[in-house]
Amino acid sequence: MTSTPTKPQPRARRLLATALRHPAVVPLGAVVLALLIGAVIIAAAGLDPLTAYAAVLEGSLDPRQLDYTFSVWGFICGMALAAAIPLRMGEFNLGGNGQMVLGGLTAAWVALNVPLPGILLVPLAVLAAAIVAGGFGALSAPLATRFGIPIIISTLLLSPIAVAVVSYLLRFQIGEAGSAVAQTPRLPEQGRMWALGDLSYSNTGLLVIIAMMVAFYVVDSRSAVGFELRVVGANRRFGAYGGVRVGRLAFGAMAAAGAAAGIVGAIIVMSSPYRLIDGALISPGYTFAGLAAALLAGGRPALIPVTAILFTILQVGGASMERSADVPRQLSDVLQGVVIVVLALRTVLDQRRTERSSA
Amino acid sequence: MTPPLAAAVTGESPAPAVELVGIGKRFGAVVANDGVDLVLRRGSVHAVMGENGAGKSTLMSMLFGLLKPDSGEIHVDGVPVQFDGPLDAIAAGLGMVHQHFRLFDSMTVADNVVYGAEPTRAGLIDRRAAAARVRELSERYGLETEPTAVVGSLSAGARQRVEILKALHRDARILILDEPTAVLTPSEVTSLFTVIRRAADAGTTVVLVTHKIHEVLAVSDEVTVLRDGRVTGRFATSEATSASLVHAMTGREIDEVRNPGTGTTGAVALEVDHVTVGDPRTPAVHDVSLTVHRGEIVGVAGVSGNGQHELVAAVLGTVQAASGRIRLLGEEVGGRSVRDRRAAGLAVIPEDRRGEGTAVTLSVAENVTLGHHRTAPIGASKGLRRGWMSIRAELARARELIADYDVRTSGEQQPIGALSGGNAQKVVIARELSHGAPVLIAEQPTQGVDVGAIESIHQRLLDYRAGGGAVLLVSHEISELLALADRIVVMYSGRVVAEFSAAEATTARIGAAMAGAAEAAAAPEAAPDTAPAPADTPAPEPETDRTP
Ligand SMILES: Nc1ncnc2c1ncn2[C@@H]1O[C@H](COP(=O)(O)OP(=O)(O)OP(=O)(O)O)[C@@H](O)[C@H]1O
Ligand SMILES: [Mg+2]
Repeated sequence: MTSTPTKPQPRARRLLATALRHPAVVPLGAVVLALLIGAVIIAAAGLDPLTAYAAVLEGSLDPRQLDYTFSVWGFICGMALAAAIPLRMGEFNLGGNGQMVLGGLTAAWVALNVPLPGILLVPLAVLAAAIVAGGFGALSAPLATRFGIPIIISTLLLSPIAVAVVSYLLRFQIGEAGSAVAQTPRLPEQGRMWALGDLSYSNTGLLVIIAMMVAFYVVDSRSAVGFELRVVGANRRFGAYGGVRVGRLAFGAMAAAGAAAGIVGAIIVMSSPYRLIDGALISPGYTFAGLAAALLAGGRPALIPVTAILFTILQVGGASMERSADVPRQLSDVLQGVVIVVLALRTVLDQRRTERSSA
Repeated sequence: MTPPLAAAVTGESPAPAVELVGIGKRFGAVVANDGVDLVLRRGSVHAVMGENGAGKSTLMSMLFGLLKPDSGEIHVDGVPVQFDGPLDAIAAGLGMVHQHFRLFDSMTVADNVVYGAEPTRAGLIDRRAAAARVRELSERYGLETEPTAVVGSLSAGARQRVEILKALHRDARILILDEPTAVLTPSEVTSLFTVIRRAADAGTTVVLVTHKIHEVLAVSDEVTVLRDGRVTGRFATSEATSASLVHAMTGREIDEVRNPGTGTTGAVALEVDHVTVGDPRTPAVHDVSLTVHRGEIVGVAGVSGNGQHELVAAVLGTVQAASGRIRLLGEEVGGRSVRDRRAAGLAVIPEDRRGEGTAVTLSVAENVTLGHHRTAPIGASKGLRRGWMSIRAELARARELIADYDVRTSGEQQPIGALSGGNAQKVVIARELSHGAPVLIAEQPTQGVDVGAIESIHQRLLDYRAGGGAVLLVSHEISELLALADRIVVMYSGRVVAEFSAAEATTARIGAAMAGAAEAAAAPEAAPDTAPAPADTPAPEPETDRTP
């Protein structure tokens, strides 16, 4: 206790206090903190953080690379959707990898085996991927409502199973015979994503993902289901009392999330090099980056494209940083991890605060 | 309680325990406090009254260091202080019991009481010392409690005793109670007042925020009334009257509304038929049957924790009944979803406003929309627009209800958590009444609302009844039940133990049945006046000396 006489607080301090409570402060703080930690790590390795970060920016924003950067941004946005839709109702989908891989496998199988012209085959492959991956994602909802297994746990545990099954199938069942790498044969011409002009990385798949984000925005802000998602996310008991069928809502949200991940998998497989290669969907880390982008956006649809830019820059620029500044690209993962930890801490603290808050 | 150091050093200082001078506080455009002066004499019980949103909680939060005043000074024992947080206030000898409990449900009473100021032995929490401390305090102040009980299993009254013990454990000399009686039953209120008097007699200064005039008259020494953030009345309780307090609070006279008792009841609207809820060996609701007709208000009296809430949950469908049937307008709804039951014609004003009745982070508009979002004018139940909402219609409807129910808010987009307690309650009531559902369950509908708003809510419930609605009114306030209900059933230990018509019902009879008096259960007519009072304490019976 300070026993000094009270005087009215200076205006500047009040303004500062108000500004500090702005909802954007924590996410921005998380990013700044991550960059600082990254700088310390780079400096500790005897390298120059500024050079490294400059390399990140140059690499990702290089005009000759923009085509590639955009395609990565699309994948991260897609995986951010897979995390953000359940996040809106307070659930965490950590099974993006499994859902994405199942989607990729389904699309590859359809493209390889269904004899249809491209105009029908491409949509069919994407749709099939969405259905299979969506079904897989939705599995977590009854596990939660019937058996009380939290969605965050079941998605986390089911995902590696799906990844392992796909890997097995690629190696021993449907993989290309005589290839050293476990992979499907190249998809036929009619089973490939349509190109956008003469771009080599971005294709119609990017438009599909943008359409999904627009759809999520509209559903979230304008539809009864979107309203119910937000209500349940804010207070689950309030939702249940008000007549929201929380179990069904979770089913729908997880199905939509799985479908989004599955579509990303399908698009990747149906883009160059036009095959499903073991491990190739997971290793770029789109799932993790998408989760971080969704958390940073607080699940808000309008913010996802923006936060995804940040992680795209890290992802794409990480590779060029490795090349030109000699900093291993894993640093990108470290930075993402710091952002996630800070935001997760915020969520926990917020919950504590609302649980114990006053009238 | 060990004598505080400051008092020991300075001896009996003539300065009042607390003096607030010219306190001002704004939230954006809202002036919550405006030049408030308040003097708390040592060892006195000081009541603070005022309408919803008058600024009572804001003032108390500033005294306890939860908020910082924009202007003005706080003196404790004559010394100006500036609190940077509640810890500073606690160190200065203040303690606060919030309207919404801040306890850890999974921990024991003793752990909760000593939390943050644990007795330790060899660096570990000394559980035995903690329990002993709790026993000692509860004996000294007459706060009945079991140190080893888990807080989650306690009734509202018992939890509140834990909150008070928590403050006393930290040697609070100034105890702030913000609407402590809003969730208590009459007998719990009586024993709380005994504790308050005992603490005051021992030298503790008590500030009591409440809406209930009979409580103020019964327990306080002085009263300060706030309106729109300013002091509009200061009274010595001995000179205050119910009318003068109401006038200072509202600037007008309030007519108490009563059920006219006329009118004919219609068909059965809600039928609860031999319903049991919970584990069949120790059911929360045990084989309860009751009916509510159209055009009828049926009151449910009972000490909290005797199954009323579980009964409501079973009718709403958030909890499934273990056995028995529930019929809405003749249709069996057991096993159906909450949404189906609501669609069949049910609206519910829940008891737990923050936990169940609202989402504090969402806006007033969103809170008042849930349940209306799939029907016109916001949504549509069929056609092309089905499943879509019109945000414009949502906001327009919210503005209408805010005006109609006199909700004090800076706008329909304000988070409901920023509203004062009573105003948030009005939002809940607006949402549920505007369904126009044939069956309405109202649990503690007037909790935390001011005298003027109580009468207007009572009038709305009577209008609902007059319009052919069936109302099940669950309340701890016997006076509320007596004013509104056509019939009153009393629940005790999960059973309906007595039923009275409006003509037969008296405070004494209902009180006796609530306390589980066997004779009341067997024969409601039999000499209820001899039944034991709800609590055998010398404190005044709040319900009987209520001045109209
Ligand atoms: N955190 C906040 N942000 C914005 N406005 C607030 C906040 N807290 C309180 N207010 C406003 O300040 C005014 C006073 O609120 P306060 O909670 O002090 O009222 P009260 O007298 O305790 O009412 P009640 O009897 O309903 O609890 C109200 O208009 C309220 O909306
Ligand atoms: Mg209040």
